[in-house]
Amino acid sequence: MIRHSLSGSTGWSRRDLLRLGGLTAFGVAAGPALAACAGEESGGGGKANLQFMYWGSSFEQKAIQKMLDEFNSRQKDASVKPLYTPQEYDTRLNTLVASKRVPDVAYLGAGTAYRLAEQGKLVNFYPYLKKHPELASRLPYTYYWYGKDKLLGTQTANEVILLWYNKKTFQEAGVDHPPAEASKAWSWDTLVETAERLTFDQDGRRPSESGFNTKQIRQFGLAANFNSYGWYPLVRSNGGDFVDETGTKFLLNSPEAVEVFQNLQDLMYEHRVSPTPAQTGNNAPTTTVQLQTKRIAMAIDGQWVLLDMAESNLDYGIGVLPSYQEPTTIGFAAATAAFTGDHDDKTVELYMFHNDPRYVDLYKSGLWMPLEKKYYEDQAAIDSWTKNAAHPPEFRTAVVDYTLNNSVPMFDQRLKNTDAIGEVLTPAIQQIQTGKHKAKEVLDALKPKIEPLLQGWYPSQEL
Amino acid sequence: MAAKKSRLSGQGRLESRWGIILAMPAILGFLIFTIGPMIASFFFSLTDWTIGGRPSFIGLDNYRTMVKDELFWKSLSVTAYYTVGAVPLGLIIGFALALLLNQRVRGLSLWRTIYYLPTLVPAVASAVLWIWIFNPDFGLLNSLLRQAGLPTSQWLYSEEAVVPSLIIMSTWGFGNAMVIFLAGLQGVPRHLYEAVSIDGGGAWQRFRHVTLPMMTPTIFYNLVTGVIGTFQVFNQAYVMTQGGPNNASLFYIYYLYRTAFTESAMGYASALAWVLFMVIMLVTFLLFQNARRWVYYEMAGAR
Repeated sequence: MIRHSLSGSTGWSRRDLLRLGGLTAFGVAAGPALAACAGEESGGGGKANLQFMYWGSSFEQKAIQKMLDEFNSRQKDASVKPLYTPQEYDTRLNTLVASKRVPDVAYLGAGTAYRLAEQGKLVNFYPYLKKHPELASRLPYTYYWYGKDKLLGTQTANEVILLWYNKKTFQEAGVDHPPAEASKAWSWDTLVETAERLTFDQDGRRPSESGFNTKQIRQFGLAANFNSYGWYPLVRSNGGDFVDETGTKFLLNSPEAVEVFQNLQDLMYEHRVSPTPAQTGNNAPTTTVQLQTKRIAMAIDGQWVLLDMAESNLDYGIGVLPSYQEPTTIGFAAATAAFTGDHDDKTVELYMFHNDPRYVDLYKSGLWMPLEKKYYEDQAAIDSWTKNAAHPPEFRTAVVDYTLNNSVPMFDQRLKNTDAIGEVLTPAIQQIQTGKHKAKEVLDALKPKIEPLLQGWYPSQEL
Repeated sequence: MAAKKSRLSGQGRLESRWGIILAMPAILGFLIFTIGPMIASFFFSLTDWTIGGRPSFIGLDNYRTMVKDELFWKSLSVTAYYTVGAVPLGLIIGFALALLLNQRVRGLSLWRTIYYLPTLVPAVASAVLWIWIFNPDFGLLNSLLRQAGLPTSQWLYSEEAVVPSLIIMSTWGFGNAMVIFLAGLQGVPRHLYEAVSIDGGGAWQRFRHVTLPMMTPTIFYNLVTGVIGTFQVFNQAYVMTQGGPNNASLFYIYYLYRTAFTESAMGYASALAWVLFMVIMLVTFLLFQNARRWVYYEMAGAR
């Protein structure tokens, strides 16, 4: 439940936002002043003045600017201006909403999106599905429904979770690469064994050797990911879930889920192959940099990392996640939605334009994956965004096929009251992460705290 | 006589008019940016306003919710813990350094500048710096402790150590208190020190019977402003810990900010703000009550 470029409902961890944003730690200092919210009133009649509000790295900023310029050059009676907000997105958006100066099209976290939709502030896209068939043929879990025939939009793009690694570390240790096909996915034990062979302390000793110094470790085998998008695919792979199908019963203390969390904790405190939160630090470098500097050999992280990887000179590889019972990853991302106003037709045009792979090069550069099914099924369509230098050969099986056949929806994208749930969930997961309590203990204690907050799922419907 | 009087009062009127006009920016600023929002937030605190929604009046429900809100109590106790640790430590260090910088040594103004410098470092920059100092594996603190053969700590990453770590870090900002102490020390009458010397008293007696009593108003001032300031601690949680681990550094203002801007619950956040205001008022009131016992004013009735 953390906002990176696309996902995330609440932005609890600004660190991850920064990480992806590729900003230096000092970027924290430059919170955008609220005073800078120069809202432009859209003039009635004549030309429609639109605003597009978004977050992301400076790279994403440029790509979006290019897309908006393209839109402007094609439109005679509408023009759009960017409202780039890399930090404190919710703060600024809330201020704009409160002062009735909302943008026209905006990235929104799930919780905010549903709230604004229920308050009647967002365009319902259901009536537009006929006019825009490409909006009707997207992957089913990418839609944000807030009632029967009520659609606030879809994800901005798609993302899945993968196993990234530095090929050089594998070569040095003489270990096989992680598999790039779902059918050959490692078991958890294989992952741990491999990670053990890739972990070294300052004197080159491995965790299984005597005299291993747990305090000063040069290279960790694997960076475990305790974000919800890090553990949820593993829980689903083991047949567990966060809540039941009614969305009112907490299931994270089931044996299947407990096993996953205990395994994750054991990576750090039992097998010593993963950095603890203290060893990672609160201002850790990006996954790409940590792999590049051989601080870690493997990392569980999102597809969006590819942008950084492709820009770096790191010899990286992509594998599928380890599998318990079924090879599983998750597909998810934050929503893009449109605010209602005087010129909804133009707003919808901009909406349809903003993430069209024909106009935005973020697909080719690796940050985003398309939403429409054909980009995962049709060879020519697949080639249109993956046949380039940024996408390595294993991308087809490890990402395209993996997404189409093995991705499940992320729970916090459809669950009601997800922001409040996250505020209880996050501290509890931190307790597992810091190794103070066993997973079962924490998750059992969590059940009575989460269940009063559960209000069921938002609907989903067939198209 | 009468003419002269009226001329004077005319001038008096002029002066007072100009006085008011010149003070207006400050008065207006206070009304518009402090009193106005305060009244507004009090009104909002009686509603269930969520940003984007329509506020409806719910009386004292927000305040009732707070009584049962675990995070409210958690954040209040975390903040109180921080205040109790950071304020006295800051006072002691600020006072001690002010005493040192009040000595006649070579390059005095240079030393004063150097000791004040940390205060000038932007809050966020110093937070980032301290994240590195606190790094358990490679940070400065643990490296020093390890070399000295002392036990190390997880600092920001353990529930027990996170607030003490932030307290240690807070002492870095002693500069402002130090400058005020320094000013206070300059005002201690010389003849009292001479009197102690004549009576055969040494450095300790001079400090104990002259410096300390004469400095109590300054100590009191720094205490009150320090308490008010630390109750509103925010940057450290915001930049360094995001309130973690397990809410162990969920400072009150950070919780309030999160409630207002990520949960968009403005009504509840306003109620939280008013409760903090009351708490600070109460604590300040108690400090003033208590001050009668130990603060010494040379001129009676100057308090």
